[in-house]
Amino acid sequence: MDPLDELKLELQKIPWFRELQIKHLDMIAGISQLRNVKAGEVLFREGDRAEYIYIVLSGRIALDMAVPPRGKMRFHTADPWEVIGWSSATPVVHQRTASATAVVDSRLAMIDSARLRELCDQDHDLGYLVMRRLSNIVASRLMSSRLQLLDMFAEPENKNAK
Amino acid sequence: MAAHAHTHSPASPSERLLEPVWAQVMDITNEAEGISTYWLKFTDPAVEAAYTFEPGQFNMVYLPGYGEAAISISSNPADPTLVGHTIRFVGNVTRAISRLKVGDVVGVRGPFGSYWPMKEMEGHDVIIACGGIGLPPLRPAIYHIMNNREKFGKVYLLYGARTPKDLLYPTEFEEWERAGIQVQVTVDRADEDWQGQVGVVPMLFYRFRMDAPNSVVLTCGPEIMIRFVVYEGLARRVPAEQIYVSLERNMKCGQGSCGHCQLGPYFICKDGPVFRFDALQPYFNVEEF
Repeated sequence: MDPLDELKLELQKIPWFRELQIKHLDMIAGISQLRNVKAGEVLFREGDRAEYIYIVLSGRIALDMAVPPRGKMRFHTADPWEVIGWSSATPVVHQRTASATAVVDSRLAMIDSARLRELCDQDHDLGYLVMRRLSNIVASRLMSSRLQLLDMFAEPENKNAK
Repeated sequence: MAAHAHTHSPASPSERLLEPVWAQVMDITNEAEGISTYWLKFTDPAVEAAYTFEPGQFNMVYLPGYGEAAISISSNPADPTLVGHTIRFVGNVTRAISRLKVGDVVGVRGPFGSYWPMKEMEGHDVIIACGGIGLPPLRPAIYHIMNNREKFGKVYLLYGARTPKDLLYPTEFEEWERAGIQVQVTVDRADEDWQGQVGVVPMLFYRFRMDAPNSVVLTCGPEIMIRFVVYEGLARRVPAEQIYVSLERNMKCGQGSCGHCQLGPYFICKDGPVFRFDALQPYFNVEEF
């Protein structure tokens, strides 16, 4: 199968892409490619240039941060249809703030972040849809981070505990 | 440390709620750091024969000299001859329980409280969303579903813990999967050796497509987690009448007399611990309640 057709077929499995107009799907597919990674393979490291947004098509990708002296801390995993590296779509983020590693053999769609920003600037309808999607991702990640920060499973300070 | 067996053993259910009956610790399972399951068998055969419980109910477990603690029943309701209590050692009573050995005796009053609506859930998809020590009160519901699997639609268990070593009952997950329960497990934090998911329980709602009008959500865990699980359920248009939460507060008497566990017009020990969400909605997520 033609790689572009294969890519479009994969993207159209994702509900958000199914809602796009064909021309917008074509525009995003035109700046994207498929990538297969083996378990343990590093997709990017902290400090790398942030050039791509990734959508997990199959498998699982882990996000880790190096926390001296505790070592690598895993704070998020992304399963199918989740997006990682979303911040590279914003104009101010140029560096990865976490490392991404495949937990199992995985398949991803990688979208060129700079070219996506250009497309969004040129076609504001597409730009609106992309930014709306990104804001949903940011909101859910923010909520997740907030709950992790609260350490909700920590033993509560409760002097009445039996 | 052994408590002395009581000579009088009230066998009738109404007496059993007021005065403890005695049960022997038959086995202790270490589940995670600071959490163990105590398998209790009533010393009086008449009490054992009469004892039944519903998934979601709790017992008041009594240790002479220390007091009582409300502990959810975490075992199979189809086999009430051996009653399991999964206990986190956080207070005077539970720390004293942590020093018990097999063969020791404790007092038990119960079962108390409302329970998961197993009958009403039949024919529905079931989403069980829980975190940490919130899984034990739901394990009897899981066993009930396994015992009656054909009566339920799709069943999902969304379970989270602080770290991988804090997960309860991990050796049972495969058996639950084999029984047709889709088990999704996540932890808040892990090291790079952990192959499972990292994230919070509410995010697990994004892992499957829900038939919301036909789904029932059961949730138990930290109240902050429950709040966001309820948000996720409501956001997917699960009716509030089909969301059930189990709350734990400072239960003391077990019968709504002392008021320690009051939430709005309810006493968690008597009216709960399991509530249909629409009943709690006016008081949920309200400061000071």
